Amino acid sequence: MMLAALRVELAKVFSKWRTYIGFIAVGLLIPIIVLAMGKEGNQYFSFATQALSQAFEFKGNLMNGYTVAYIVFGALYIHIPFLVTLVSGDILAGEATSGTYRLIFTRPVKRSTIVTAKYIASMLYVNMMIVWMAILAMVLGVAFLGTGEIVVIRSQITIIAEHDALWRFVLAYGFSALSMMTVASIAFLCSSLVENSIGPIMTTMAIIIVFTIISAIDLPMFDVIRPMLFTNHMTGWKLLFDDPVPWPRVFTSASVLVGHMVVCFVAAQIIMQRKDILT
Amino acid sequence: MNVIELRGLQKHYGTFRAVDGLDLTVRQGDVYGFLGPNGAGKSTTIRMMMSLIRPTSGSITVFGESLHHHREKILRRIGAIVERPDFYNYLSAFKNLELVGRLSGADVSRTNIMRVLGMVSLDERAMSKVKTYSHGMKQRLGIAQALLHNPDLIVLDEPTTGLDPQGMKDIRDLILALSADHKKTILLSSHILPEVELTANRMVIINKGKAVVEGLVNDLLNAGKMKVTIETDECASVRTALSTTPWGGRITGVTEHAVIMQLDRAEIASVIQHLSASSIHINSVVPVRSLEDYFLSLTSEVV
Repeated sequence: MMLAALRVELAKVFSKWRTYIGFIAVGLLIPIIVLAMGKEGNQYFSFATQALSQAFEFKGNLMNGYTVAYIVFGALYIHIPFLVTLVSGDILAGEATSGTYRLIFTRPVKRSTIVTAKYIASMLYVNMMIVWMAILAMVLGVAFLGTGEIVVIRSQITIIAEHDALWRFVLAYGFSALSMMTVASIAFLCSSLVENSIGPIMTTMAIIIVFTIISAIDLPMFDVIRPMLFTNHMTGWKLLFDDPVPWPRVFTSASVLVGHMVVCFVAAQIIMQRKDILT
Repeated sequence: MNVIELRGLQKHYGTFRAVDGLDLTVRQGDVYGFLGPNGAGKSTTIRMMMSLIRPTSGSITVFGESLHHHREKILRRIGAIVERPDFYNYLSAFKNLELVGRLSGADVSRTNIMRVLGMVSLDERAMSKVKTYSHGMKQRLGIAQALLHNPDLIVLDEPTTGLDPQGMKDIRDLILALSADHKKTILLSSHILPEVELTANRMVIINKGKAVVEGLVNDLLNAGKMKVTIETDECASVRTALSTTPWGGRITGVTEHAVIMQLDRAEIASVIQHLSASSIHINSVVPVRSLEDYFLSLTSEVV
């Protein structure tokens, strides 16, 4: 029955216009960034490295497809949560809004099965979005700008060799999928609590903003809760471009994110099991 | 065999008792009228029967098994419309039926879906998105989704709300056909009395979450006093003839060609006999026992 329920949920998700907003937005934005980087990327790069230009000389194809993919990834990463909540925030609450809980919860299928199918459908959507983003950034970047070393400019500059880049990207996209699934899980939980789609989307974004601010403010009173905030771990994908990769930190961050996902899913299941369908 | 048995069913929202100790029995083959004014607790009861809301207390037994313990097994045999017929408006009627059919374990072949849509005269608009449907069409689609998996029990909550007279008649005819030809048991919730009068064989009237009266529709129609119109050109003579009998006080109105009385069914023949013996010519006698009168008398404090 789970497969039938999942099939039904996927059919509904991919029949809605809002599902494609994220794909369209990413599909429009990435080619523009890649083309702009190809044309004026060296200026961008010179600006970013101007403080080091007197001490170091950069040679080679630094503004290449890999570097652009890294930059695109970092830039879009902030905005993708808005797009993933469009689907996961609507997937339960949307049924309440349209009165179709009555249609699905009167079927000979356990509520938990339907809720699980909805959760899986949300997660599949998130992963498809990340894969779409990865394919566009990598394929377009490499096609237009070729391959080369990745120059990672953070508190320090790390140059990743060309042959050492691809596996990092694969893992980074995997990690970012985990981060976005955490965001989607929070939206899913919010969606189980209310009866309109806007509430979960706004609430999730508010949570991200508040937690991000708490993560960013370096006050001792936040030291206790900061390690537990998912926003503090969402940027863990960047660790995969450190050399060497600090694996314990990567695993810790991944564990915190998975923990959030599990808590959100279980809480949503309990809420939906107890919910009286009055819409 | 009892198809539905509700015993002491209660649903409370805080201090408000939406359903308050409701007992109800629907037998196999019944078209069972579930009557009550708006807010009487009909939809809440149906929502509990369809496991959309949890009872505060009491038991729901369907096909001899507890709904609480055998939910999926029971729902496989029930088709229902619960209140408004809401669908996925961005999908076609065909796709809506295909999706809910998959969840019901129904045959979702094109042939079966089109057959069911044909039963409610929607086959020609099968591929139109539901958002283009009128309320009446959605109502008919609601019936189609309830029938798709060929259930033994059909629960229809206000199925004719918002329909025009022809649409109401079509639904009535469909209900009668489902009962007579397909041997389905039907629970028909309504506040439209003629609908129940014309289709149901048994019924319950509920008010404030409690059953007020339950029984065969014919018995309930025949119970108590009836409005009897005696058509005659000798109205004054009728009044005189009856004035010395116990029926004299039962005259509730007199027009130019009719005397209107409140009588028990058993009294009608005696009154006619008495008038005939008094050489009064009677053109016709029309007894009317409307369920509406009965319904209003039982629920008058809230209607």
